Amino acid sequence: MAIQNEKSVNVFGATLTRRQMVKAGGALFVGFGLVELSKDNRVEAAVAKNSLNPALPSSWVEIHPDNTILIRTGKSDFGQGTTFTAYRQIVAEELNVPFEAITTVLMGDTDRTPDGSGAFDFLGRGTPNIRKAAAYTYQALLELASKRLGVPKDQISAKDGVVSGGGKSMTYGDLVKGQQLKLTIPVEGDLTSIMGLTVTGNPPMKPVSQYTVIGKPHKNSVIASKVAAREKWATDVRLPGMLHARMVHPKTLGSKLVSAGELDKTRFPNAQVIVQGNLVGVVAPTEWEAIRAAQQVARATKWSDWKGLPGDANLFTHLKQADWKSTPVAKSDKTRGNVAPALSAANKKLKATYEMPFMKHAPIGPTMALADVRADGTVHVYTHNQNPQALRGELAKMLGTPIDNIVVRIFPGPGHYGRSNGGNAGAEDEAVLLSKAVGKPVRVQWMRDEDFQWSTQSPAALSEVEIGLDAKGKMTAYQIDHYMPAMQDDRPVGAVLAGLPTMPPPSEKLPFPASTANDIQDPWVYDGVAVLAEHGHGTAQIGQKESPLTIGLRDHSMRTPGQFQQNYPRELAISEAAALAGADAIQFRIDHATEDRVIDVLKKVRDESGWETRPSPVANPVSTGDQPVRGRGVSVMFRSGTYWACVCEIAVTPSTGAIKVEKYTIAVDPGIVVNPLQLKRQVEGGAIMGISHALLEEAKFDESAITARDWRTYPILKMSDIPDVKVVLMNKPEVGAYGGGSEAANALAAPAIAAALHDATGKQARRLPLKPEYVKALLKA
Amino acid sequence: MATIVVNGARRDVQSPADTPLLYALRNDLDLSGPQFGCGLAQCGACSVLLDGKEIRSCVTPLSAASGKEVTTLEGLPARWAQQKGLSKADAEKTLHPVQQAWIEEQTPLCGFCQNGMMIKATELLERTADPSVDEIKEAFTTSGPSPHLCRCGSYKAIIDAVRHASTLMAKRS
Repeated sequence: MAIQNEKSVNVFGATLTRRQMVKAGGALFVGFGLVELSKDNRVEAAVAKNSLNPALPSSWVEIHPDNTILIRTGKSDFGQGTTFTAYRQIVAEELNVPFEAITTVLMGDTDRTPDGSGAFDFLGRGTPNIRKAAAYTYQALLELASKRLGVPKDQISAKDGVVSGGGKSMTYGDLVKGQQLKLTIPVEGDLTSIMGLTVTGNPPMKPVSQYTVIGKPHKNSVIASKVAAREKWATDVRLPGMLHARMVHPKTLGSKLVSAGELDKTRFPNAQVIVQGNLVGVVAPTEWEAIRAAQQVARATKWSDWKGLPGDANLFTHLKQADWKSTPVAKSDKTRGNVAPALSAANKKLKATYEMPFMKHAPIGPTMALADVRADGTVHVYTHNQNPQALRGELAKMLGTPIDNIVVRIFPGPGHYGRSNGGNAGAEDEAVLLSKAVGKPVRVQWMRDEDFQWSTQSPAALSEVEIGLDAKGKMTAYQIDHYMPAMQDDRPVGAVLAGLPTMPPPSEKLPFPASTANDIQDPWVYDGVAVLAEHGHGTAQIGQKESPLTIGLRDHSMRTPGQFQQNYPRELAISEAAALAGADAIQFRIDHATEDRVIDVLKKVRDESGWETRPSPVANPVSTGDQPVRGRGVSVMFRSGTYWACVCEIAVTPSTGAIKVEKYTIAVDPGIVVNPLQLKRQVEGGAIMGISHALLEEAKFDESAITARDWRTYPILKMSDIPDVKVVLMNKPEVGAYGGGSEAANALAAPAIAAALHDATGKQARRLPLKPEYVKALLKA
Repeated sequence: MATIVVNGARRDVQSPADTPLLYALRNDLDLSGPQFGCGLAQCGACSVLLDGKEIRSCVTPLSAASGKEVTTLEGLPARWAQQKGLSKADAEKTLHPVQQAWIEEQTPLCGFCQNGMMIKATELLERTADPSVDEIKEAFTTSGPSPHLCRCGSYKAIIDAVRHASTLMAKRS
């Protein structure tokens, strides 16, 4: 590559290079402000084919001559709204352009976005990749403006997409037109790993006091196109010559194929059965023929029997006896003091075990994918996935091909709340294998029962808590031991069934993400407690080692992953300890907190819910009869830079055990509220999902398989069940950073509702879900 | 093979008569409003209006739609335009007030179920111009073959949007 007159300057960790004419591979190199990227622009040798070069600013932010701007992110948005609102606001802020100037958001596509990673931590604790990339770009714009306007950089100002200095001004579009200016954005990491790439360095960023776009209630542009039926969903993608497919999954989570059923060619003349190892699929030109042919083949297919699961009735007995010794115990960094003597010196003690069942992510539409394995060896996948680069890596591994050959394109689809954050949601690898077998594009759509029975679950957990109180009712010691099977099984299930290479299943001997370790995920917020011990114990997934397929009950992160399993026992135990101390549950928490933001969020939820300060339970708790009795409970959490507290007010009918949440108040302090409109809707949704988790959700299983198969066997909350929901946003610009808002709300309800049940009845539930039959039996006991 | 009237137009469909209407709409007619959610009439993602009544297209055979009027999400603006006697030019730039309300209230999260929610809202508002919150909850929970389910938890936003749509419809009539 010939570079003439190169002059490099270091800009806060990035390299800014001015070039006159640059030839790369015989093509004119236009690094900055280009409208279309061509393959030849990718001059850095280390970048894979069918990838963008993350070092190029235009891979992140394209400023067009007409002053419109396109941004690109590897993060896939499935209802969080962040990429379409907050990301536009953040970039607009750093670039000093109006929100509306950012006309296009490209997300997820592995060949058209730079950084990978999953649909979590969108706001990156205040500095998401896109913010730094925009900040670097802004510095490059100032450098360029200085040159073009002939004014020192520190005398250039920028507003609404126009730079000014020395009495002259110019739009960004004019500024970048025809420029050969290259900024090298520094990144580190592994594109196809779970975490993707991270932009490094420390570009100057706009002071919070100057924000004009962040904090405004901008609408999410994708909502309008979905509502008007103009959006192309993953389910809408069709390719010429495409076949429809349905899978014939094994009879159990450990069954091997004995013989694939013979297709009735008289009824299904155009269908075809594909078998690879234990993977069986049926393809046909029309969807209805594929469905019916697959049903016919399934009835005729023989599988070996397998019984290697404990069954849901024995789940917690099984967990208590599991091997927790082979996985190193995790400790929180706040662990301090000597617990045993502090507990034995306590005036009063609480000792309790809390249980959480397996839950399903349960997307409202089952997973689907369209794959096109072409004769040239390239593989094109069209799907709805929360970590397309990780999926790309998994598909490459499965096929034994470089990632250069894999392209994953992302379209909107049903939210799946974390299930595909490790790469796959289910059908993608199966579509690839079937397409490869038939040499045509193949669209695999899982049916409702397959989505319940063959997807990963949110792992069950149990936690043992001991709390010591002194004579004044102050917590002197707190010890918690969390037990949870491995939560991150990223193996594509089709590849496992076909006997093809995958990443390893979770193991005691491997590091993240294939580890069985159970890290402490729930930051401690009661720093007034002198003696603290928090331990996380991990083990293999249930049935994984027993299953001849190495499958069993595969787990994956679900919204507020791990922290839900740890915060529910903690917050319920704290409410129990408050009751034991004869203290009000909110005041008790405030009295043990030292951080202002913890105390503020608790006070806020107390005020906004109209909470009456008194101990629990109510004066004369009632646990019999057919008249509803009422109670309230509270919970608090710190997650991803945001403080949360909720109050649930419930009515429970003792004779039936039915709980109705009547009012739900939630206070949220994320620091800076980026978009109050979107955050409010996000929190409402999380709150309602959380009530569903608490009251209804449990993935039932027998000794062989998940037995949940539809919305009757895995019920979720209905509209008639929802309470009056009050969301209180606490905007605190003085914090100087914005925390995340898409998670946490779903986890807060469970401990608050269980505490409210105790408040009303004096009876303590320590198991989820709070279904009528369980509550009725508990109240009778 | 069947002839059905979809969003005001007669359409010939090649699929066999026992094919669920959902697949005919999506695959033969390239409509993207109704979605496959369960195939069991348990969630409502696939809802369409059949002669003005909400049905689940995932379990309704194509033959059952023959001779009847099918309205999908795509057809809501024209349905409103026809009801209000709007000119063709006005009709083309007008969304149904239900859709308008869904945008103004920023109702969808992932949005996959919202086709059925908007179809249900249209059915409800054509029958009851100013529904109470209880009537809205009843419509979305017990009036059909199953409750309309939203996994993202947008029920409050849906109630807000139905109330807003009711106001928009009153203003525009």
